Amino acid sequence: MKIGILSKREITFTGRMKHYLEDLGHEVTIFTAKNLIINDNLLDHDFFILKSKKLPYLYAGRFIKEKGVPIFPDPELTYKHKHRLDAYYLMQQAGLTSPPFFVGTKEAIKNHLREEYPLVSKSLMDSGSKDVKFINSDDDLNSLNEDVIYYEKKIKGTHYIMYFIDNEISVSEKPPLSTEHAKMKEVAPSEDMVNIIKKWKDYHDIPFGHLDVIKEESTNKIYVVDPGNFPEFTNWKHDDDPCPKICNIILNRIEELKKNTL
Amino acid sequence: MSEFLTYLKTISDVSIYIEEDLLINYSNINFDEDIFFVKGKGDIILSFVKMIENETSIPIINSYHGIWVAFNRFINCIMLEKAGIPIPAYSLNPEEEPPPFKNYIIKNLIDQQNYAFKPKIEKRYRSLKVKDERALNEKGKYNYFFYQKFIRSKWEYKIYRIGEDYFYYKQLPVLVEPDKMKTRRTIEPNPELKKLVIKATNTIDLKIASVDFLKSKKGIYYLTDINSTPNFNYIQNGPVLIGDYIKAQAKR
Repeated sequence: MKIGILSKREITFTGRMKHYLEDLGHEVTIFTAKNLIINDNLLDHDFFILKSKKLPYLYAGRFIKEKGVPIFPDPELTYKHKHRLDAYYLMQQAGLTSPPFFVGTKEAIKNHLREEYPLVSKSLMDSGSKDVKFINSDDDLNSLNEDVIYYEKKIKGTHYIMYFIDNEISVSEKPPLSTEHAKMKEVAPSEDMVNIIKKWKDYHDIPFGHLDVIKEESTNKIYVVDPGNFPEFTNWKHDDDPCPKICNIILNRIEELKKNTL
Repeated sequence: MSEFLTYLKTISDVSIYIEEDLLINYSNINFDEDIFFVKGKGDIILSFVKMIENETSIPIINSYHGIWVAFNRFINCIMLEKAGIPIPAYSLNPEEEPPPFKNYIIKNLIDQQNYAFKPKIEKRYRSLKVKDERALNEKGKYNYFFYQKFIRSKWEYKIYRIGEDYFYYKQLPVLVEPDKMKTRRTIEPNPELKKLVIKATNTIDLKIASVDFLKSKKGIYYLTDINSTPNFNYIQNGPVLIGDYIKAQAKR
């Protein structure tokens, strides 16, 4: 099959997927910002893999989907992972708890929420730890760009990244504000962690991904602070390589999508 | 807005939520409005709209989806094209890639700010290149340009939808006459345009909108722009029509 991968990079997990799929006999093209032109010329592929959540790739994904070419993960669900409010509602639908949050200008926060410090500021349209900052004072708030409008109540506790691939789970303790590539220590998943992942993947039919969570020190309650549907699995702590598993899941999902469109 | 608000206050109680002062607290949602009308498309306003839709049963005009799709040019092109509405050929290209068409307009990808179309025109032998200044200001933000194939048309057609009422105008294209109101005139209701406007606004879920068309030499109307927050002062008695429509949609 002729497969396209929409990805920011040609290397790392994307590169490994390309090699694995080529070894299975497929013809694979990686579309990065260098060669991704979004028009009907893209449509001569049998299916696409949406690896990146950046805007042009999401647009390309939506274009490909609407034109009837199978793509996985679903571009609309991927967009919702990236948008903080959509992600909040995805978590709410699945019955997961996330921190209380607020939307407003810096002035509105100062005028109405000073007593709520510490807060965590995040970009409205960016998942992960990029641009995440702790707000302990007006000075911290003043240092932010004007376009920052999303704030969460800071949860005091331990941060974890929880990867899942089908029924396999790998959990690691994550340093605050770090990316998934930081050095992390594996921990055994607790029962409530397993339940959270089950609720998430079952409700939204997500076969692999990750959830960033914080276990609150005072209550042991787990808050989900960030979902992701296509991590690099840098801290996947099991001995086996996640790449072949992911590729095979995608190949199966594409077959299902093709059957459903017939 | 002032004329509209003055009228609205004579027929209902009005609370105004201004983006700069608005603080949305998702753990404390309590509103007693019977309807919300949205005159804006900034991220805070949109967050408010999303919250109202998800947390209450209060009607809201326009919907989050409608507003969002209307300002995302590429997404609305995909949806309108799929619905069978003629739109000019389009392409989203990396900034360094050559243009995909001989005659084209580069438009801003995200039309979320309230700035008017400001074209930079380059005419060469048998080719026309138009770049909207707003698109050039996006340079470096997305690293992509949104190209739309240029449609030559004597007139630009502008149709307003307010609920089930339609208002028809034409004017010289802005590229010919930058002062769009100078040549604007009312035209007779046009069934073909009405059908296209109904299909387009229903496709992206807009109850109040303005929709622009250009007519090709072959007589095909191409939809070139759709706006969820039109300036209804341009419609005769517009503020009253909008006010009455909103009141009629309220839940009580």
